[in-house]
Amino acid sequence: MSSANHGPEEGRPENLVAHLAARLRSHVLWDSLLIFIPPVLAGVFIVFSFYRAAWMSPLAFLLAALVLAGVAGLAVILRYRPLVPSVPAAARLIDGQADSKDRFLTLATLAHAAQPSNFVARLRHETSRFGERIQLARDFPYRFKKSFYRSMMVSLVAALLFHLMIPVAESVIRPPSVQQQLRQVAEKMAQKESLKPLAQALQALAAKLDDPKAKPEEKQAAVEEVEKKIEEQQKKEPEKENRDLLSQAANSLKGTEQQQSSSGDEQKKDQDKGGGGIQSNLPQEGKGEGKQSEGGGSDSKGEQSAQMSNDMKQGKSAQGNPKEKGDEKNQQAQGDAKNDQRDPNQPGKEKNNEKVGKDQGASKEGAGKNQSPEEPPQGAPPAERFYKAGEGKEGGLKGAGYVTVQLPEDLVADSKAEGKATKEGGKGNRARPQVPVSNAPLPAHVPNAPTEKQQMPIEYRGIIR
Amino acid sequence: MEPEQFQQTFKRLEVEVQKVIVGYQEVIRKVLIAFFSGGHVLLEGVPGLGKTLLVKSLSRALGMTFKRIQFTPDLMPSDIVGTEVLTEVNGRREFQFKKGPIFAHVVLADEINRATPKTQSAVLEAMEEKQVTVFGESHVLESPFIVLATQNPIELEGTYPLPEAQLDRFFFKLIVTPPAPDELREILKRTTGVETSDATKVLPEDGGRLVNEMKQLLRQVLVAPPIEDYVVRLVHATHGNGQNGGNAGVKQYIRFGSSPRGAQAVILGAKGNALADGRVHVSYEDVEKIVYPALRHRIILNFQAEAENVSGDQVITEVMKQVKRN
Repeated sequence: MSSANHGPEEGRPENLVAHLAARLRSHVLWDSLLIFIPPVLAGVFIVFSFYRAAWMSPLAFLLAALVLAGVAGLAVILRYRPLVPSVPAAARLIDGQADSKDRFLTLATLAHAAQPSNFVARLRHETSRFGERIQLARDFPYRFKKSFYRSMMVSLVAALLFHLMIPVAESVIRPPSVQQQLRQVAEKMAQKESLKPLAQALQALAAKLDDPKAKPEEKQAAVEEVEKKIEEQQKKEPEKENRDLLSQAANSLKGTEQQQSSSGDEQKKDQDKGGGGIQSNLPQEGKGEGKQSEGGGSDSKGEQSAQMSNDMKQGKSAQGNPKEKGDEKNQQAQGDAKNDQRDPNQPGKEKNNEKVGKDQGASKEGAGKNQSPEEPPQGAPPAERFYKAGEGKEGGLKGAGYVTVQLPEDLVADSKAEGKATKEGGKGNRARPQVPVSNAPLPAHVPNAPTEKQQMPIEYRGIIR
Repeated sequence: MEPEQFQQTFKRLEVEVQKVIVGYQEVIRKVLIAFFSGGHVLLEGVPGLGKTLLVKSLSRALGMTFKRIQFTPDLMPSDIVGTEVLTEVNGRREFQFKKGPIFAHVVLADEINRATPKTQSAVLEAMEEKQVTVFGESHVLESPFIVLATQNPIELEGTYPLPEAQLDRFFFKLIVTPPAPDELREILKRTTGVETSDATKVLPEDGGRLVNEMKQLLRQVLVAPPIEDYVVRLVHATHGNGQNGGNAGVKQYIRFGSSPRGAQAVILGAKGNALADGRVHVSYEDVEKIVYPALRHRIILNFQAEAENVSGDQVITEVMKQVKRN
C-alpha cells in the first residue's frame, strides 16, 4: 500500500503502466489480507479463550493458532493469484482515467520491434502527454472494500459471541467448586443482617476448605459445625427468603461433604490397597449400626447372616481377640451415646455407604479379604453364629470383632428408617414388621444350597405340616 | 506520408461530399474508410435517399473517373466488363477490346440485385480480382478502384438477392436511412433554390498515387494485441456453434457466421477510423464503430430470425454484449 507517486516524468508511459500494475497487485494483496486477517484474529482469540479457560493445552493452542495462520495464508494466496492484475488491465485503467483511448494499452502490449518506428514514437509521445494527467496516489488510491468490512463485522460478532458464551459454557461444563458456591452464598447472606454471622462462618469454612494444610478431619469438623449452625438458624428463621438462602448454604455444604468423602475414599484406596475385609454399603451413622451391634433385633440377624464374612463363618473372627473385647464395647457404647458410630480412620466416610468396613476388616480381622458381598456365607450353620438366647442383650456378640455387613438397597433404606426411629423414640419402634425367627438349630448346612431359604415361622409349625 | 496529411485529406473529402449530401456523415465517413481500405461498399436504402448523388459527389471530390451501371434483369456481363468488337484498322479487320463501364475508379452499381446472378458474378469477380478476363485476355482495372453498389430493400419482386459468397466481397454494408426533419429541410433548401452547390476536387492531379500512399499508411496503424483478440472473439462469436456464440440468444438466429474477411474488414476499418481521427493506433471504440457495417451482411440469418424479424444488427448487438473487452 505504498503511496509513491510515479509521475510520467519518471520515465516512459510503459513504466507508468508497470508501476500501476505493481500498485494494483499490492492492492489486491491487501484486499486479500484484510479479508482473511479478521477471521484469523477472531479464530486466534477464540482458541486463546479456550486456552485461557484451560480447555486447551499451550501446545494445542500454539498448534491451532499456527494452523489458523496457515489456512489464512493459503486462502490469501488462492484469492490473490487469480486477481493479480495484468499489465493490459493496468493500462486500461490508466486509459480510462486519462481518457487516452487505449493509447497506454497499445503501447504497453505492442511488440514494438514489428511496428513502424515513427508510429510507435508518435504514440509514445501522445501517451506521455496523457500520462501527465495521471498521479497514481491520487487517481488510484487504496480503498477498503466492502468485503473487508463484512469480514470484520462477522469476525467481531463471532469473537464477541464466543467471548460471551465461553463463561456460560464453562459454568455448564465445569460447575463452580463448593468453595466458590459457599462464598457466593456467604456474600448473599452477608447482605442480611440476621445471617451475617453465618456468612462469616461460611467464608471461614471456604477458606479452611481451600487451605491445603488443613487436615481432612478438621475440615469435616468445620463443615459439621457450620451445618449445625445452619440447621439451628433455619429453625429460628421466620423469613422465607432467608430460609431459602440457608437451604442453599446447606446444599452447598452437602456438596462439601461429598467432596470430602470422595477425597477420603481416594485417600483410603491408596492407603489400603490390597487390604481386604467385608464391604458394606450400610450407613454407618446413628443408631442403625449400634442396634445391629447390640443384637437387639433378632429379625435382622437372619437377614444379615446372608452377608457375613468368611471370618465369621469360620468362627475365627467371631471369637476375636479377647483383648479387643473391651474396645468393641466401648465403641458400641459410644455409638449409642453419640448416635454416630464412625471409623476413626475414615472421618469422611460416614455418609458414603461404600467400602466402609474395608478398613475395619483389614485392621481388626486381618482376614476375609476380597469377600464379595454377593457370595453366600459358607461354613457353620447360621444359628451357630449367633448367641444363645439372652446373651446378646448383655454383652453383644461373644468374642466377635467389629463387623459391618453389606445389605441390599432395600434393607439399607429400612436400616436408615430404623436408625431414625431409634434416634427419635427408642429401641421399641421398628419400622419393619417383626417376624419371629427361631434360634433353634437349623438343619445342617448343605453346600451350594440356596442361602436365603425362608424358615417357617415357629407359630405355624404346628399348624402346617 | 504522415498521419496528419491523411487526416487532413480525409477531412477535406468529407467536407466536400457533405457540401452536396445533407446528413449521412457516418455513411460518408465509412464510404471513405472503405475506399482507403481498398474495399467496396453495398449501400442499402429505399429509392430517393441520395445514394447515387453521394457516389457522384465522392468521385467528383476524389477527382477520379466515375461510371454508373444501372442493373436490370437483361443486363449482360459483357455490358459491364466490355467485349471484343470486330473493328477495321488500316484495312484490316480485327477484334479490339471495348472496355465496359467497370473500367473506372469509382463505379456505381445501381440496384445491383436486379441483375441476373450471371451478371452480378461478373461484377463481383472484377471487385475481387481488380481485373477482368474477356476472351482469355485479362484486363487490369483502374487503381484505385471502388464499387459502390446499391440495393433496394423493397420491391423485391423480380430481383435476384446477392448470394452470400458475393455479399462477402463487400467491405461494408451501409444502411441509408431517411433523413431527419432538419436534414430534410436542409436538403430542400439546397436542391430547390436558385443556387446549388457541387463538390470540388480535393485530390491533386496524381490523386491515384496519393490514394495508394494513404492506403499504405492506413495499414501501418497500430493495433494492440488485446484489441486484435477482441475482434477475433467477436467474429468467432457470430458463429452459432462458436465457443463464445454458442448461447441460445445468438445461436437460434444464425445460420452462418462471419468469414475471416469480416475480421479483416473490422481491423482495416478500425484502422481507417483511427487514422481519420488523427490517431496512429486502434482503440476499442474504433472496433465497435466498424463492427456493424463490417459484419452485418456477413452474418447469414436463418428462417427463425426472418420470421421474428431479427436483423443482423440485433444479432451483432447481442454478440457484443456477450464478448467483453480484454
